[in-house]
Amino acid sequence: MRRIVRNLLKESGFTEADEAEDGVVALHKLRNSKFDFVVTDINMPNMNGFQLLTEIKADEKLKHLPVLMVTAEARKEDIVAAAQGGAAGYIVKPFTKATLEEKVNLVLKKMGL
Amino acid sequence: MDEAPNTSLPGGYDQGDVHNKLGLLTRQLHDSLRELGYADRLQGSVAALPDAQSRLTYIARLTGEAAEKVLGIVDTAKDEHTQIVEQTQKMREALVADPVAAVAKGHVMNHLEAMDAANARLDSRLTEIMMAQDFHDLTGQVIAKVVKLTSSLEEQLVELLLQTAPMHSAPAAAAVLAAAPVVEPEPPALEITADGHPVLQGPVVDPENTPNVVTSQSEVDDLLASLGF
Repeated sequence: MRRIVRNLLKESGFTEADEAEDGVVALHKLRNSKFDFVVTDINMPNMNGFQLLTEIKADEKLKHLPVLMVTAEARKEDIVAAAQGGAAGYIVKPFTKATLEEKVNLVLKKMGL
Repeated sequence: MDEAPNTSLPGGYDQGDVHNKLGLLTRQLHDSLRELGYADRLQGSVAALPDAQSRLTYIARLTGEAAEKVLGIVDTAKDEHTQIVEQTQKMREALVADPVAAVAKGHVMNHLEAMDAANARLDSRLTEIMMAQDFHDLTGQVIAKVVKLTSSLEEQLVELLLQTAPMHSAPAAAAVLAAAPVVEPEPPALEITADGHPVLQGPVVDPENTPNVVTSQSEVDDLLASLGF
């Protein structure tokens, strides 16, 4: 799925999109490079999306990053938990290219980017 | 005059006796299971079987839809490809026959524009094929849950077999246990409760009968909007 998301982002013009296999690797990359926003799944090994979101929002250098959740978790409590945890958006799978573009653009617009 | 039905069985047993013995055995099994603590566990696993069935149905539906979608896109793309080949062949013939006229009359430019449009359509088709592969992510999560359920049921049945096997067949039962595949537990990362987040459920396979789930992106947006996000 992350290859699909990465390819879609590239098609949308985000040619420098990077990817990580789980939350631990993602957090390491975020702390060692500069990114404008994060698109993450929730169901990941080692560190899931909720935990990654918590880590990002607890990190002074990263907490400004908008985090867009893309997930198969469709329970309302999951969506509420993501929003309360500071997620900038929530996309349920299966989704379309148009939906991903719309949500990413919305996030960037809110960020003034 | 009808003869009375013969209720005797080979070995001198009466049908009624056999029925009573079966009833007694069933009762003993039931009591044994309850005493051993297996009744509730097995009941729980059996109750989960319809859920596994609906999950497998979900997998079959998703994979079938994805296959249909991809085959449909490929059919369309192949038709377009045939048209491109034909147009290119005509263009080649026109250029060979009268290159100046082909350029002057705009045939070359028209062909190049048609190729641009065809390339854009092809790119769109490839994106659609890529998007159709998202079923793998969803079915993978569902299959993991079914495997977990199946493994749990197998483990309980093997334990039951060991506990209830007669003494002379215990080694055979132990051999079954030894031959049973070792099932690794799911990564603990999926079981998040310590930090207060709900345990992940994965894709909703039966949204109509699942309370408190969203079934579309617009419902997600509405929910977030109602929360002020």
